[in-house]
Amino acid sequence: MANVLWLQGGACSGNTMSFLNAEEPSACDLVTDFGMNILWHPSLGMELGDNLQQMLRDCVSGKIKLDIFVFEGTVVNAPNGTGEWNRFAGRPMKEWVRELADAADFVVAIGDCATWGGIPATAPNPTDSQGLQFLKRDHGGYLGKDFRAKSGLPVINIPGCPAHPDWVTQILVAVATGRAGDLSLDEFQRPKTFFQSFTQTGCTRNMHFAYKVSATEFGQRKGCLFYDLGCRGPMTHSPCNRILWNRVSSKTRAGMPCLGCTEPEFPFFDLAPGTVFKTQTMMGIPKDLPEGVNKKGYIKLTGAAKAAAPAWAEQDIFVV
Amino acid sequence: MDREATVSPEQTAADGELRKRLRGMLESGLETEVEPRAYDHDAVQSVVARLQALAPDDYEGKLRIAGFTLTPWRGEDEIEQACETCMYYVVHRRFCELPELMLPVEPEWSCRLWRI
Ligand code: SF4
Ligand code: SF4
Ligand code: SF4
Repeated sequence: MANVLWLQGGACSGNTMSFLNAEEPSACDLVTDFGMNILWHPSLGMELGDNLQQMLRDCVSGKIKLDIFVFEGTVVNAPNGTGEWNRFAGRPMKEWVRELADAADFVVAIGDCATWGGIPATAPNPTDSQGLQFLKRDHGGYLGKDFRAKSGLPVINIPGCPAHPDWVTQILVAVATGRAGDLSLDEFQRPKTFFQSFTQTGCTRNMHFAYKVSATEFGQRKGCLFYDLGCRGPMTHSPCNRILWNRVSSKTRAGMPCLGCTEPEFPFFDLAPGTVFKTQTMMGIPKDLPEGVNKKGYIKLTGAAKAAAPAWAEQDIFVV
Repeated sequence: MDREATVSPEQTAADGELRKRLRGMLESGLETEVEPRAYDHDAVQSVVARLQALAPDDYEGKLRIAGFTLTPWRGEDEIEQACETCMYYVVHRRFCELPELMLPVEPEWSCRLWRI
């Protein structure tokens, strides 16, 4: 039986919603089939008031063994480093976070806010928010770059805005069933099993990407969203087109550009007007090129691909 | 199914007519705003906003504001800008699909909204 405690800092509850939508395994299956004991969760916890405070204190002291501490949302430091803007169970949440992270065998950050600050930490970051071990790309965050949970692992980061339910449940199951040693993490402490490939891997628009046929409107079935509509699929690490959303689709399949929500810089360009759904160019050339491709190579490739594009690539091939 | 035909024969004929007309305007010396190039977001937006204010059949206005040329434009870093390599160019139809233009063009033509 693995004890799991899930707390929420500066967040919108999106990751909780995502988690509660999990199927195979569902949140209930985690308890009945995978031996998880959910000590407390903002939407599922039974304890209130003094009882909750006592339970949290028991987790800190070790009286209750804390196997997995899950945190959703940012660590709020405002005002003036006190964290008073986010109080929970009688004190600033950040104080609980520090003590519980030190007491836990594994610490799992769910969603962009907990991993790197996400939307709340976007400039000017009025809540002085941080992720658990990163602030955007900078290693450190609230717990510091040398933080290690009792198991010896740093914070396991499962980013996303929100994270896909399967990313959450599969990692929780791996950890709870003693297979954490099999996890390999990338430089941003994301499990590679999910975050080594790109959003583009498995995208149905790859043929249009290859032949440089551009979609010019959302929802258009023909064309790739990279060239005009700001799709970040070729430089975002996520399995969104391998592990589909609701098991049926993904943003890019539905004609909506990938916003790069699993990367530390999300939301990109600090949400300046005109940046999110428009490919940013400098002298007509995209500022962000597919990972590993340089400007010269990109121009050569585009010229050759367009010249070679077959007529069908320009048609709507998804005929009813 | 005819996989080669991207548009109907009637559309191809209409495209051809209009392409000829556009070429005629440019050859007869229509002054177009070739520079400044729309190199950053704000510049692109301001050109696009002006195009949006035009009637769909104001072809002269479209050519002028978008800064059309009959030959490729060469940038400072020797990158050639021609419809042929532009993201909005539909190769087989020889057509510019930039929503604010939607014009039949030729591969060697160019405009200042070029993007690759
Ligand atoms: S739509 Fe996005 S993810 Fe899909 S092929 Fe195009 S750039 Fe890649
Ligand atoms: S498609 Fe992109 S923005 Fe959407 S969930 Fe996946 S990584 Fe995030
Ligand atoms: S936007 Fe591109 S395809 Fe359209 S006219 Fe300009 S250069 Fe040509």
